[in-house]
Amino acid sequence: MTINTFVAGKGLLYRFDPRAKLLTVMLLCIWFFLPVSLVGLYTVVGLLVLVGAINTGFSHIAKTFLSILPMLLFMVLFMPFNVRDGESLITIGSFTLITAEGLEQAVRLAGRFIGITYACTLLFATTVMQEVMLALRAFHLPYKAGLVVTLAFTYIPFIAESFSQIAESHSLREAESDQGKRIIQRLKDLVPTLTSALVFALRSIPNLAMSLELRGFGSEQKRSSFKDLSSYRHPYTHTLLSCIMLVVFWVLFRVQ
Amino acid sequence: MGPSQSDSTSSLAKSRVPMPNAFCIEHLSFTYHSYVQKQCESLFENLSLQIEEGSKTLLLAPFDKGKTTMAKIMCGVCPKYFPGTLEGTIRVFGTDLATLEPWQLLSICSYVSQNPQEQFIANSVEEELAFPLESLGLGREEMRSRIDRALQHWGLDRLRTSSEQELSGGERKRVLLAVTEAIDARFWILDEAFDDLDQRWRDQLKEMIDKGNKTVLVLASRYLAEFDGLFDQVLLLDDKKVVSLPQQQLLSRFSQLCQDDLANPLASQVCTPPEVRQLVCTDLVAERRRMSTLEEASFKVQVPHFTLQSGELVTLVGPNGSGKSSFSRILCGLDGYLSGSIKFDGTSLSGKELSKKVGYLFQNPDLQIFLPTVNDELSWSLRRRRDLKQEEIRRRVAACADLFGLSLSDTPATMSYPLRKALQAAVYYLLDRPFYILDELDSALTYHTALSIIRDLRQNGAGILLITHDRQFAKRVQQRTYSIEKGRLCEL
Repeated sequence: MTINTFVAGKGLLYRFDPRAKLLTVMLLCIWFFLPVSLVGLYTVVGLLVLVGAINTGFSHIAKTFLSILPMLLFMVLFMPFNVRDGESLITIGSFTLITAEGLEQAVRLAGRFIGITYACTLLFATTVMQEVMLALRAFHLPYKAGLVVTLAFTYIPFIAESFSQIAESHSLREAESDQGKRIIQRLKDLVPTLTSALVFALRSIPNLAMSLELRGFGSEQKRSSFKDLSSYRHPYTHTLLSCIMLVVFWVLFRVQ
Repeated sequence: MGPSQSDSTSSLAKSRVPMPNAFCIEHLSFTYHSYVQKQCESLFENLSLQIEEGSKTLLLAPFDKGKTTMAKIMCGVCPKYFPGTLEGTIRVFGTDLATLEPWQLLSICSYVSQNPQEQFIANSVEEELAFPLESLGLGREEMRSRIDRALQHWGLDRLRTSSEQELSGGERKRVLLAVTEAIDARFWILDEAFDDLDQRWRDQLKEMIDKGNKTVLVLASRYLAEFDGLFDQVLLLDDKKVVSLPQQQLLSRFSQLCQDDLANPLASQVCTPPEVRQLVCTDLVAERRRMSTLEEASFKVQVPHFTLQSGELVTLVGPNGSGKSSFSRILCGLDGYLSGSIKFDGTSLSGKELSKKVGYLFQNPDLQIFLPTVNDELSWSLRRRRDLKQEEIRRRVAACADLFGLSLSDTPATMSYPLRKALQAAVYYLLDRPFYILDELDSALTYHTALSIIRDLRQNGAGILLITHDRQFAKRVQQRTYSIEKGRLCEL
């Protein structure tokens, strides 16, 4: 009922300390909301994509982008209409359709969304979940809270995977005349697929709870740990490097 | 069925010195809570069962008679997570189960579920084994030793970093058995544990049960050849109670309950397809890669030659992880391939086109049925066809429901597993595909139900490729057999 988000590899990110990686991701999420220039924002996003492609492969990076594309399009297409202030770019008669400020905000929002997505994806693609858990515990997060976080990050992709399996099975049920169907029909077909994915996910909740308790979750006894982070020898150096990098980005790209 | 077993097991039981009970169930009654207006029927009434410490027990039960519910009650998770009304007392090694939480049973009782997917909680095979050992608070060295031993024993060493979704059904089952071995609890509940396993692993499990010092309860809905001489007591869940009968009598009654004593529905079927269609694969090569592991070289599916004709019933057998499902996914157009060809009546087809010619019945029917009523499910595809009028759709749906024994107003989510499986088949029957792939159709159905579904799907002359691990079942249906090993398919 969980899905592994880890992609095996030997790149630099795999050797980077998980505690430092976790901290970097958290700081990056804050950094994307600092007043930085659009060029700076997209430079950092570009660097993330580059680092990701080197470490996890181009296909993984492309797959991640495709998975967020519908939501990204939704945000980018509708955001400009919501912002009415600033210089008007497109007008229909006396009605201002898109303003420069609205467009800028949409582009910024897209950059933040892509950046945060890649930062989180790279953390989970280059760190096994047990090490993510150990990193969370290193920041004094209680075990149960850490488990909830790691389970959430594996359970959500599980639901996504179930959705694609159900979509596959629905495509196998199409009539021969369904070939080349219109986009409206495709959108309509999403409803039963989403419904069954939701039902499937809801039905798996008691099973997940059952399995966790049968594996000893809930016990008052102190848990031991099969893995530790001792193989990562430079946690402080890596943390320092991450912080310096983010400060440099801030200095270089902040809005004057 | 294996009626040749005689009464050797009961004489063995008689010769054993009585041991204290590992499990003692008295006057158990259970009814699931209903989410619809119709009241659920009780599963057990005044049921009693004693399992001696160190004994090996086989509890046979036809499908949907409460076998899995019984296992979940014994583990303390039902009615906790599967609401219902429970009465009676259960003692586990002398302690009242009602006073224990499921996690307190970790070192006492291990459960291997019929559906391995529902038990996975970790992200890799190794973590799956480590999780309960961490709960037990074991030292790192002890954990490593137990994990290594169990992984090697179940042939999973090379898959230790693989995630659940990258494993085949049989590999998943082996992971759960490895978890059980690593925990080393005193009492094992194995629900259809032999299903999904190929012969090698079935033999190994049999040996573990036989030679191990654990108290074992195997729950099964079919009597497999592997069960002969393995158990101290064989019991039957009949009419909401556990009954003990002389072995021959018990197996005969069980066979009757499963309708296995009826004639093979395929035996009298004369399949005359209106036109002969042919599906041919030539020099097919496809590649699959496990994303979560570096050690594993990519897995290749190679099919030098494969044919399936209208009206044919062909079986595909092979060990766990040999590529049966990978091949099936390619054949029905869900996955692509590197080279070679798949031709339908001499014409190469794209994946999308193939999916309209080859129906693939997934092992799990819940992934293929999704609408509120049986009527909605059956008419979904037909309503999308512009060439059919409402009256014709209604007529076809009613006839199909009649053929598969379905009630049009029933809600699939609350239907029994065999009925959901029948509904899944009925949906495909209406699609009238020239070919069908049935993935482990028999793994959760009686032989009679599974054979009846095959008969119905073949009525219009469809060619069928049946994937199965069960040699007895394969013998009942096969006309031709293909075998696949390490991704290479050949005709036997």
